[in-house]
Amino acid sequence: MTGGGHDLLNFTAHKEVSLDEPEPPTPPGGTDEALLEGCRAGDLSAFEELYERHAARMKSIARNLLHDAGDAEDAVQEAFLKIYRGAKTFRGGAAFSTWAYRVLVNTCYDSLRRRGSRPAGPSLDAEGATPLAAPAGADHPLRLALEKAVGRLKPKHRAVFLLFEVEGFSHLEISRILRIPEGTSKTFLFGAKKNLQRWLAPAPSPARMARP
Amino acid sequence: MSSDCRRLDAALESADGAALAAARAHAASCARCGERLKAFDEISAAAPGLRKGWDSPELWPRIRESLAREAFAPAAAAPAPRKTSRWPAWLPIAAIATLFLLSFVGLQVFRPSLGDRQIFGVRPLPRDPLLTDVALDDVERSESEYVRSIENLSKLAQPRLDAPEATPLLLSYREKLFLLDNAIAELNGEIRMNRYNTHLRRQLLGMYAEKQRTLRDVMKGASS
Repeated sequence: MTGGGHDLLNFTAHKEVSLDEPEPPTPPGGTDEALLEGCRAGDLSAFEELYERHAARMKSIARNLLHDAGDAEDAVQEAFLKIYRGAKTFRGGAAFSTWAYRVLVNTCYDSLRRRGSRPAGPSLDAEGATPLAAPAGADHPLRLALEKAVGRLKPKHRAVFLLFEVEGFSHLEISRILRIPEGTSKTFLFGAKKNLQRWLAPAPSPARMARP
Repeated sequence: MSSDCRRLDAALESADGAALAAARAHAASCARCGERLKAFDEISAAAPGLRKGWDSPELWPRIRESLAREAFAPAAAAPAPRKTSRWPAWLPIAAIATLFLLSFVGLQVFRPSLGDRQIFGVRPLPRDPLLTDVALDDVERSESEYVRSIENLSKLAQPRLDAPEATPLLLSYREKLFLLDNAIAELNGEIRMNRYNTHLRRQLLGMYAEKQRTLRDVMKGASS
């Protein structure tokens, strides 16, 4: 995602990474689907290539959903095992990446369910993770406050916000990953941002409050 | 609050280009809407900073090992099939109990004529309280002999595996053997913590058998 919303006119269009761009150039190791075909034939190196392509982004999503590096790695591991097992039965219909990220998000939801609660609050940088796509102003105090506030969002709102604003997926892709209508994805994003705006707004000063 | 102010939320939610353009134009002259838009912009600008990256070099090996373990122990991973027997569950227990009772009665009948001699050539059970340990030692001795024979086979196959002009088939044998060795090492570690776990031992023997088969295939390839 470029600019991440600097220009609200490009609210939906600014995507750095998109799964559904028309005719993307074929990557050196072949398309994801070709590699998946290799997995079906038992080629472990094809699966490793898929891992290399998607693991970093998956880890980032899982960590932001689970707020714990160890849990995130466990979720990514579990997701990749499910993907390998499911490769034999997966017969297209959706892009591999859409399916793979859906598996990951569902695995994270399962993990949250097992944990029995939503994350209490992040302490991510203390654990050694660094912002990847740190744009200008990434160290702004707003980022830290935002991180905490995102943890307070409802799971679906949080997932849409993270996938759209942080990871750069389009609403169409999110609708396929989360199996929700595209309009719902937009509504969830709006709801998430409205809540974040409310939580991040500075508290009104006593003088202003006392004003009639 | 004007009607344009009221349209701001709808424009933000729909993310429609034209509606947003109109909203932005209105926000330029409306302080309240301008402030809201600015806040939304700031959130979007800060969001990519939440993307996280860290090294986890052990993650792929973990995944690979899990896959190897699943490949060689599918029965353990798959849920046990549900029993659909029409016989009552207590029937086998009752049958065993009856058999035991009959054997006991039979032994009582024959004992006076046999005296202290062995019955049907069966050695009397020793009164050693550590019988399971003794049995386990026997098992471990047999296992180590079996492992030694596979290691010998492995030594024979090694030059062929190390050949510089490796064919794709040979490369896949190498990979398979590497995975097997990893899985064997891990299982050995688990067995060291629980020597009496027969399930683990069965898994280990299965892996050794697979290794033996693979080494044989490598040798067959060399001789053909």
